[in-house]
Amino acid sequence: MMQDLLLKAVRKMDFLGAQFCDAKSQIVRTIGVQSINGDIRQLLQRNTGGVCLRAWIDGRWGYGTVTSFSESEIMTAAEAAVRNAIGSPKGKLRLEPEIVVKSLRADVKVHPDDIDLEEKIAAVLDVDKAQETDKVLNRVGSYAEEIKDNVIINSVGSKIDWQEIRTRFGAMSISSDGPRFERYYDGPSGTAGYELIKNLDIECLGREVAEESVKTLKAVRPPSGKLTVISDPMMSGLLAHEAMGHPSEADEVTKKRSFLTGYIGVNVGTDIVNMFDNGAVKGAHGSCPFDDEGTPASNTQIIKDGVYKGYMHSLETAAALGFRPTGNGRAENFGKRVWVRMTNTYFGPGDRTIEDMISDTKYGILCDKMYNGMEDPVGGGFEAKCLRGYLIENGKITDLLQSFTLTGRALEVLKTTDAISREVILDGGMCGKGIEDWVNVSSGGPYMRSQMIIGGGE
Amino acid sequence: MMYMNSIADEALKFGNRFDDSEVYVVKTVSNTVYIDSTKISNIETKIDSGLSFRMAKDHKLGKASVTLNGKSTVKECVDMAERIASFSPSNSGFKGYVMPAKAKIKTSGIWDKKVENITPGQMTEIVGTIIDNVATDVVLGGLLRVSTVEALVENSNGVHSEHSSTLVYGYLTSMTKREHPGEGQEIIYGTQLEIDAEGLGRALSQKAIAAAEAKPFKGSKKLTMVLPPGELGDMLMSSAGSALNGENVFYGRSLWQNKIGEKVTSDSLSLTDDPTVAAPLASVFDDEGTPTEKRKLVENGVLRSYIRDSFVGESTGNGMRRSSVDAQGLYERSITIKPINMVVTPGRMTQDEIIDQTENGIIVDKFAWPEADPLTGRFGLEVRCGHVIEKGKIVGTINNALMMGNMIDALNNIEFIGKDTKIVGLTTVPTMSFSGIDLVGN
Repeated sequence: MMQDLLLKAVRKMDFLGAQFCDAKSQIVRTIGVQSINGDIRQLLQRNTGGVCLRAWIDGRWGYGTVTSFSESEIMTAAEAAVRNAIGSPKGKLRLEPEIVVKSLRADVKVHPDDIDLEEKIAAVLDVDKAQETDKVLNRVGSYAEEIKDNVIINSVGSKIDWQEIRTRFGAMSISSDGPRFERYYDGPSGTAGYELIKNLDIECLGREVAEESVKTLKAVRPPSGKLTVISDPMMSGLLAHEAMGHPSEADEVTKKRSFLTGYIGVNVGTDIVNMFDNGAVKGAHGSCPFDDEGTPASNTQIIKDGVYKGYMHSLETAAALGFRPTGNGRAENFGKRVWVRMTNTYFGPGDRTIEDMISDTKYGILCDKMYNGMEDPVGGGFEAKCLRGYLIENGKITDLLQSFTLTGRALEVLKTTDAISREVILDGGMCGKGIEDWVNVSSGGPYMRSQMIIGGGE
Repeated sequence: MMYMNSIADEALKFGNRFDDSEVYVVKTVSNTVYIDSTKISNIETKIDSGLSFRMAKDHKLGKASVTLNGKSTVKECVDMAERIASFSPSNSGFKGYVMPAKAKIKTSGIWDKKVENITPGQMTEIVGTIIDNVATDVVLGGLLRVSTVEALVENSNGVHSEHSSTLVYGYLTSMTKREHPGEGQEIIYGTQLEIDAEGLGRALSQKAIAAAEAKPFKGSKKLTMVLPPGELGDMLMSSAGSALNGENVFYGRSLWQNKIGEKVTSDSLSLTDDPTVAAPLASVFDDEGTPTEKRKLVENGVLRSYIRDSFVGESTGNGMRRSSVDAQGLYERSITIKPINMVVTPGRMTQDEIIDQTENGIIVDKFAWPEADPLTGRFGLEVRCGHVIEKGKIVGTINNALMMGNMIDALNNIEFIGKDTKIVGLTTVPTMSFSGIDLVGN
C-alpha cells in the first residue's frame, strides 16, 4: 500500500532529524496522438511514476527522488533528502501546513479511459482532414490526455490522495505562398475528460484554422514604436502571466528578485484593473484541488481596483512573509522541485464591448492570439509575442498584421489601461520557471486597451 | 549497464512477435545545487531510469514508455505499445528501424569521473567559489546541475549501441541591490566539471552592474546587431537549425527547401555538425543507434547537407532524445532531429576587434530569450541589456527596446565572425555581427 510506504519514509526522515518532511508518490498516464497531412505522426502512451521525499531542516530543503516504488529505494531516497537538507542553517522558519485528510476523484463527465483509442485517433484525423484546402502545406491534428494519481503524506498528519485529468485537442495549419510560411492554431484544453472533444465541432475547428492560416499569408509587417494596443483575451492573459504573475510568485519576493517587493497597497494600475490567480476554476487547465505540498487551491486577488493586494505562496514563502499558503507550491512532476507557480491567472472583467473599444481607437493594434512570452521579475519588463493582429485606423479595422512582440514596463502599462471588455476567457498552456519545470496553467482575461511598445520582424 | 542490457533483452524478447521493434533504456543520476539570494537553498539527488519501446506490426506503429519502477514494467511497456499499434491506421511510409552499422568516429571528453563521483560537499564548494567572486552588492541566483547518462539502444535488426556521458549545466543570474537592478545571466553547457568559478563570479558581477546602469532606449534606428556566443547559439539553432532539419524539409516547410548546392548565407559562414568533441550531445551513435559523423552543413555560405533521422530516411545520425540541459525523463521524449554540435567555423577577430570595426550597433548582453521563429525566421526580441556602439566605441547601455529582423536574412548580412567560440546548447559559436537590424524603443 503506497500510503503505508510513504508514511514509513516520513517517519524515517522525522527520525533522522527533519523538522518537517513530506513524501509524495505520483503515477502519470498520458496518451498522445498527432497527425500530419492525414498520417499519424505520433501515437504513444507513457506510464511514469515515482516518489519525491522532502526534508526541511533549519530553513533548507533537501530532496531525494526515485522512479522506483520499492521500499528499500524509497528509504534510501529518504536518507538522501535528509542528508541534502543538512548544511549551513539558513534560518529558523517554521512551516505551517494545513492538516488535510482527503481523498478526491477527478470531476469529469466522460473519463478518457472509457473512450477507445480508435475514437481519439479518428477525431485527430477528422480535424486534420477538415484543414484540407489550397495553400495549406501542413495540416496538424493533436489530442493529449493526462491522468495523474497523487498521494501526499506529511509529518504533521496530512493524508491526501487525488486524481487530476487533463485533455487537450488542437488543430494547426501551416500555409505557404512561395517562400513564405504562416501558421494558425486553435483548440480547447482543460481539467476535463473526453467531453471536451465530444462537445466540439471538429470540422468547424479544422476549417477555421485552415482559413485563418491562409488569410495570414496576406498579413503585412506591423508598425513599430509606442502605440495603443488592444490585447485579446489570450494576450491579456499572457500579460497577466508574464508582466504581473511571475513577479507575484512570492519566492521571487523572498529572494528580493521581484519588482513588486514591498508593493502591497500600492497603486499599480488604473482603477478598472483587477487580477486573480485562482486554482479552483472549474474545468480550467491550471486548476488543481491541491498543490504539490498538499495545500488546497484558493483564489488570490493580486490586484483590486488598481491596487496591488498580494502574492502567491508555497509553504516556505508563506512562513517567510507571514501569510497563509495559497496552494501555489507546484512541481512539474515527482522528480522536480516545488516552486511557487501560477495556476489560472487572469485579469477581471470591465464594462465595455470590444466593438466600442475599437470604434473609439484612433490608431492602434488589435492582437489576435498569443505565441509565447518571457517574464522579467527583476527588471519589471515583459516580452509578449503575438501570432498576428489587426491595424485600427479611425475606429475601423484595416490591415491584417503578421506576428509581432509587445514590451514595456509592467507598472507603466497598467497605468495606461483605459478600457476593459466584459468577457473573461481562459486559455490553457504550459509555464516554465525560467526555461524548465513546466506546469499546467491557464491565463486569460478580457480585451484590454493600453499603451505598449510594439515591433515585429520582416 | 549489465542491468540495462537485461532490460533491453527482455523487452526485445517480449517483442519478438512484432515485425520490427526497438528498445531504449536509460539510467541517469542528477545532482543539483540551487542558489537563492547568494546562498545555497536546496541540494537534490535524483535517480531516474526508464524504458521506451517502439514497434511495428503489419505496418501499424506503436510507442510506449515507462519508468522502471517494478518487475512488471518491461512487459507492460511492450504490451502498451502493441495495444497502441492495434488502433493505429496502417503507415505505408514506415521505413523500418535502423540497420546495424559500424561506428564512424571517436569521441573524446564526454565522461567526467568527477561528475560520476560528485558529492553534495564538492558541489557546494564549486558554488561557494562562484559566490566568493561575486561583488558584495551583487545577488546571485540559479542552479548548477551535473548528471551521468547511461543509455542503450537495441532493435530487432541487431543494432546494439551503448552510450555513457556526463552532462554539466548551470543557469546563473545576477543583480545588484540597487533600486532598478535589471539582471545579468551566464549559462554553462558541457560534459566536464571544469568550471572557471572565479571568472564566472566576475562576469556575473559585471553583467549585473551593466544591467543596473542600462537606460530605456528611445526612438528607432537601423544598426548592426552584435551577438556574443550566449545570445547567438539559440538564435542560430532556431533559424539555421530549423532550416537544416530534415523533418521540416520532409514536410516542405524548411526555409532552405531544395537549396542543396545553393548559396544560403554570407560567404564567411561555414557550419559543421561535429560529434567528435566534448559537447553535451556528442556520441558515436545517435539515440536510434545510427552512427554519427562529422558533417559539413554550410560551406562558405553554400548549403551542403540537411540533418535527418530514421523517420525521414537516410539518417545522418541526428535522431536524438537527449538534451543539453536536463537528463531526467529521456525515455519519455520522442526522437527529434537535432544537430549534435553545430559549430560555426571561427573567424580571426576578438570580440573587442569586432566592436572596434562596428560603426553603429548594439552588442547584446541579454535578450528576454534569444529565439527566432523557426517557421519564418522573424524575430522581435526585448533587449534587457545592450551596449550601444558608435564608431567602434561603447557609448552607453540600454534596455526596454525591441530588436527586430529576420534571422535567415541576417545570415546573409554577416559583418564579422569572431574567434571566441563557446558551447551554447547544441551549438559551438563565436561572437558574430549582422547589419541592417531594426531597434525600436519608447
